[in-house]
Amino acid sequence: MHESLKIAMSAIVANKARGALTTLGIIIGIVAVITTMTAFNGMQTAFRQGAGAIGVDVIYVSRMPWVMMNDFFLYRNRPNLDIDEAEQLELAMQGRAIVNPSMNTRRDLRFRSKSMEGVDVIGTTQKMSVITNRMPEYGRFLMEFDVRYKKDVVVIGTVVAEDLFGDVSPINKEIDVGRHKFRVVGVMEEQGGNTFGGPNFDRQVIVPISTFIKAFGGRRNTDVDIAVKASTIAGMDDLEYEVIGEMRKIRKLRPSEEDNFSINKLDSLLGAFNSIVGAVLGIGLLVTSIALFVGGIGVMNIMFVSVTERTREIGIRKAIGARRRSILLQFLFESAVICLVGGLIGIAIAAALTAVINATLMPASISGGILVAALSISVIVGVLAGFVPAYKGARLDPIDALRYE
Amino acid sequence: MIRTTAPTRPERSKTMRKAQNSKAVLALQDVVKTYEMGDQKVHALSGVTLDIGDNEYVAIMGPSGSGKSTLMNIIGCLDIPTSGSYSLGGEMVANKDESELADIRNRLIGFVFQTFNLIPRADILHNVELPLIYGGVAKAERRERAIHALEKVGLSDRMKHRPNELSGGQRQRVAIARALVFNPSIILADEPTGNLDSKTGEEIMRMFDELHTAGQTIILVTHEDHIAQHAERTIRLRDGKIESDVLTPDEVPASLLPSGSAANYDLSSAGVA
Repeated sequence: MHESLKIAMSAIVANKARGALTTLGIIIGIVAVITTMTAFNGMQTAFRQGAGAIGVDVIYVSRMPWVMMNDFFLYRNRPNLDIDEAEQLELAMQGRAIVNPSMNTRRDLRFRSKSMEGVDVIGTTQKMSVITNRMPEYGRFLMEFDVRYKKDVVVIGTVVAEDLFGDVSPINKEIDVGRHKFRVVGVMEEQGGNTFGGPNFDRQVIVPISTFIKAFGGRRNTDVDIAVKASTIAGMDDLEYEVIGEMRKIRKLRPSEEDNFSINKLDSLLGAFNSIVGAVLGIGLLVTSIALFVGGIGVMNIMFVSVTERTREIGIRKAIGARRRSILLQFLFESAVICLVGGLIGIAIAAALTAVINATLMPASISGGILVAALSISVIVGVLAGFVPAYKGARLDPIDALRYE
Repeated sequence: MIRTTAPTRPERSKTMRKAQNSKAVLALQDVVKTYEMGDQKVHALSGVTLDIGDNEYVAIMGPSGSGKSTLMNIIGCLDIPTSGSYSLGGEMVANKDESELADIRNRLIGFVFQTFNLIPRADILHNVELPLIYGGVAKAERRERAIHALEKVGLSDRMKHRPNELSGGQRQRVAIARALVFNPSIILADEPTGNLDSKTGEEIMRMFDELHTAGQTIILVTHEDHIAQHAERTIRLRDGKIESDVLTPDEVPASLLPSGSAANYDLSSAGVA
């Protein structure tokens, strides 16, 4: 084993330029594979961070499912959920779960000369902070009396705070949300994770739901989402079951009728995300494995050259007692080492790239699993690419090989 | 040790052989080798029967096309006969597979080639170690034996050099060390001085002579008479057959010369003192 390694290394070192060029193909392939996998992991991490605000143990009752494929027509005739239904559900679930309605729209914001367009405006209650486990970094969140007395107060996200106020403290400043004036009472802590078109929780403002209805829309025509977080009910499935039951009662659905509302949760979103990103990853890996394949062809080519060049050496080795297997292993080892070296260099480059991605695009890191996978892939490519040339070398007739000039 | 040109060879058409004191190291019986070249069959060897005993020093001669190389390849287990039997060191070679042949070459045969055939990228020590590596000898012992073999040929101070840093004569000595390192039954040397000037060639031949004196069985394949002179016995091939098998004249002790017509080689005479 050690001997084969030495022989292989000396063969590679003997042809530095050629070895380097051949290795380049493998390096590119490995960098591509690792970066794809790292990017996939990064997307997942970013998504979890972002989606964490939705709450793992919360279900949402909405008119529409969050993830729709081609079945929008099934849902478009559903009635809006309204604030009365939210109140009825809250009453029905009293003591068993926390129920929090929220509505949303988009409005432009303005503070003195600065403005922002199309910012998400959430109308909700003080219970939202319990549901999402998010608290303001400065100031306070909504309070019960804000909701009860339709106070014109607003809690803003960090991006809003930065864009509108810069270095000025936003607390107690008045801003325009649409045409309505609100007083800033708090700034939420940073949520992060808004890479892939998902909701940006830092670029939103939160107002009391009662004020929301008064300022932005009628009671009837704005859709309400109802978040439900279990307080005494044990499992998510039980919670979902009970919520469905209560909602059917509220909507007076007959047993034969289907639900005309949807239950949403983080899991369903995560599942949809994974299937989309998984497909992207699949395509990415397919493309990158083509790069690796081309690299492997390069190695195979160079191994054919190497075997031909060393025909005489093979003859000598066979004459003094090398079996076919020894020759086969010698060349397999050589191509595996070429690819392994390529893999190691590829990992180093990919690590640097990952650091750049991590600093600029999204959270990314190379996991141990990816490392092991990359190294195994290199060796496998080496063995596969080396096999046919090595077999050719091993099969050479010693007499012919010795006579080869 | 340098011999002058041999005196006139006894003009005998019949084959002769040296009286055999020890058992045969290798024995060929009716060995035929046929190559197919397209539709034609080429008989490289057509019925060779030959016996070489322990510590014999044999030269195989013949013009090109005589089957000399084919015979060497078969003796060296690089090739197998089309028909006939060949035993080396008591093992029948004819029906061995590739790996078994490789093992036989590894353990029983030490090759010395005209073109030295060292591995250029490896240092001298590694070249000499190579048969031991393929023979599965452990590292420490391998090193020791390789160094010992290099000492025998007087090159133990060049172990870390590469073949291209040595002269032709030195390279051939490395090749001899490599051939010797596994204590083979026979040394098979194919035109060992063919690429050397005559002075260096003589040095190499002296080395073979010394090895023979030390008990080594040596087979030389050559077309040069003065090289064959070093051997005790000369086998001449022509058209795939043994033309003559005689004791090399100046090596023949008078007492061993057959008095009458020489007896053809006969298996029953083997082992007779």
